Amino acid sequence: MDAIQYLITGFSTALQWHNILFCMVGVIIGTAVGVLPGIGPMSGVALLIPITSSLTGGLEADQAAVSAIIMLCGVYYGAMYGGSTTSILLNTPGESSSVVTTLDGYQMAKQGRAGAALSISAIGSFVGGVVSIIGLVFLAGPLSNLAIKFGPAEYFSLMVLGLCAISGLAGKSIIKALMMTVFGLLLATIGMDSVSGVSRFTYDQPVLYQGLEFLTVAVGLFALGEVFKTIIENDNSEGQIAKFSKILPTKQDMKDSTGPVLRGSVLGFFIGVLPGAGATLASFFSYSMEKKISKHPEKFGQGAIEGVAAPETANNAASGGAMIPLLTLGIPGSGTTAILMGAFIMYDITPGPLLFPEHPTIAWGLIASMFIGNLMLLILNMPMVKVFAKIIETPSKYLLPIIVAVSVFGVYAVQVSTFDLMLLFGCGVVGYFLARNDFPLAPLVLGLVLGPMIENNLRRALTGSNGDFMIFLEKPGSLIFLLLAVLWISIPIVMKMRGKKVLINEEA
Amino acid sequence: MAWEDSSFSSPKPFKFHGQEDYNSMNKSVDRLCSLLFACIGIGFILESRKITQSSFGGSGSVGSDIFPFGLGLILVLLSIGLFIETFKYKEQVSEKQNFNYKKFIIILVAGVLYGLFLEDIGYVIGTFLFLIIGFQTMNRGKWITSILISGVFSIGVYYLFVGVLQGNLPGFPAW
Repeated sequence: MDAIQYLITGFSTALQWHNILFCMVGVIIGTAVGVLPGIGPMSGVALLIPITSSLTGGLEADQAAVSAIIMLCGVYYGAMYGGSTTSILLNTPGESSSVVTTLDGYQMAKQGRAGAALSISAIGSFVGGVVSIIGLVFLAGPLSNLAIKFGPAEYFSLMVLGLCAISGLAGKSIIKALMMTVFGLLLATIGMDSVSGVSRFTYDQPVLYQGLEFLTVAVGLFALGEVFKTIIENDNSEGQIAKFSKILPTKQDMKDSTGPVLRGSVLGFFIGVLPGAGATLASFFSYSMEKKISKHPEKFGQGAIEGVAAPETANNAASGGAMIPLLTLGIPGSGTTAILMGAFIMYDITPGPLLFPEHPTIAWGLIASMFIGNLMLLILNMPMVKVFAKIIETPSKYLLPIIVAVSVFGVYAVQVSTFDLMLLFGCGVVGYFLARNDFPLAPLVLGLVLGPMIENNLRRALTGSNGDFMIFLEKPGSLIFLLLAVLWISIPIVMKMRGKKVLINEEA
Repeated sequence: MAWEDSSFSSPKPFKFHGQEDYNSMNKSVDRLCSLLFACIGIGFILESRKITQSSFGGSGSVGSDIFPFGLGLILVLLSIGLFIETFKYKEQVSEKQNFNYKKFIIILVAGVLYGLFLEDIGYVIGTFLFLIIGFQTMNRGKWITSILISGVFSIGVYYLFVGVLQGNLPGFPAW
């Protein structure tokens, strides 16, 4: 078993004391991010990129990369744990993948069973996380072996598929999502062209030669955009936080949730692997599946523990599953994984089929650390549930200006340029305006991250075929990806035209 | 996999923090956006024609203008699509909400000034002033808490970053 052996080596990396520390800090911050309204997983990860890069500054390049990425991924799945807390206690989800949890979670809290709901969602998240990491361990090798055979044409089409997948499910209007994708790709062309060294759209401005920095744009669009939205729309809704004393679930609770947790793990994992369909869809599907197969569907919505266990398990399993296309193919399937990919690139590591052979310490160290991180979250969350519940009460008066200050600090610490600070505020305003008018931001960031790679592969493929675009249809692999991309976009459109309700993935 | 689910009947639309009126589609804003993005697309198309061609390659080689040119074209087509789409849906009138543009403008202006003069007045003073303005704009009063938090944050971040992590920040004004 190759995978097991690699995994053991991975554990030796992940169990180094500083990596344990990074992992712990990551998951704690992640949980706080999930709990705090106003910062979602995307802005949380984006905000922490500069902080991790300064924390790991003293380490060697490879070491720094693995530590930083361990911490950022910790934030990512930690946020999935934390998101449930506000759903259950306040009836307001901390992020979109916990929306369904409010249905039964808040009912349970009203009946005085908040502790049971919180701990079952922690247990479910743990199981879901572990199942998806096991899936990752066994799928990573075969998938990257397959992907390594791809030529530029296949790669180009695969990336187009990834972009179409995320656009097809990203918002109310597919056209708007596609516009955002194309806009992101266009923004990525600004700066020095990596193939020929020609500068494009720079107009002799030295600050533009490097291109628009991904980090600045992401922090601006997500973190500042959300801050501006909260300020303008003044939605510091003061809800009553449900009180609770008992934390552990009863035996009956455990028995009732075993099935939903196991089914949710598997379902969530597979939905997570699909590009575009992230944690939000996974939680919706697992909830409705449990309702369908339940003997007492009328209990759902009245405080059924199954209705908390299933979606919370599924959204964590999905976030683990979403790491698979990112790590093995180099194609992020969601906004948050796109930001993680940006972080990889900042450390000069390109996720994709070459990640496993070229940087085995990083790849397997990360996977091993995800096991450790999930275990930490379980251990931390049970006793600390009450502490995290307190975080909800952080007054937005102090929180919002501090988020702005952290964004400025982060961008300046990495970029050391006033231009980037101005770009940061510009992106914040644009991000608010776009999100306000239903233009989804995740495709824009995905386009910005994938832009240079798509262009490289496009040009390499075309150079090989003497400029003949038919190469993308002649190669069977490429043709399949393009057909899938067309289907992914057109099926939701057709379903909408038939008047059916289409679930969309509003991952924030 | 079908992205549709009939059994999931939600009586009320889910409410995020203040996200309720995100359902409102605004025709005039959408039309404006479609025009704006069409202009951006046209801009990229025109400007990409001006890109100086690289010397290597030769016949059949793919220059650095193809990608932005094609994308600009797609963006224009999509913008036209969005413009057409605005005629198809019904305008949903969103309930009046009181928007806090004043607070937003103050914080935005303060933030931009903070960014512009960061290198001149230094991180500690700049951050301290920005946070005080931010806190007081969000909610008047509690000056002592505001001053305390701003002070701890600005000095704490500076010393952690510069002192412990040996990072580089303009600390205090040069004068």
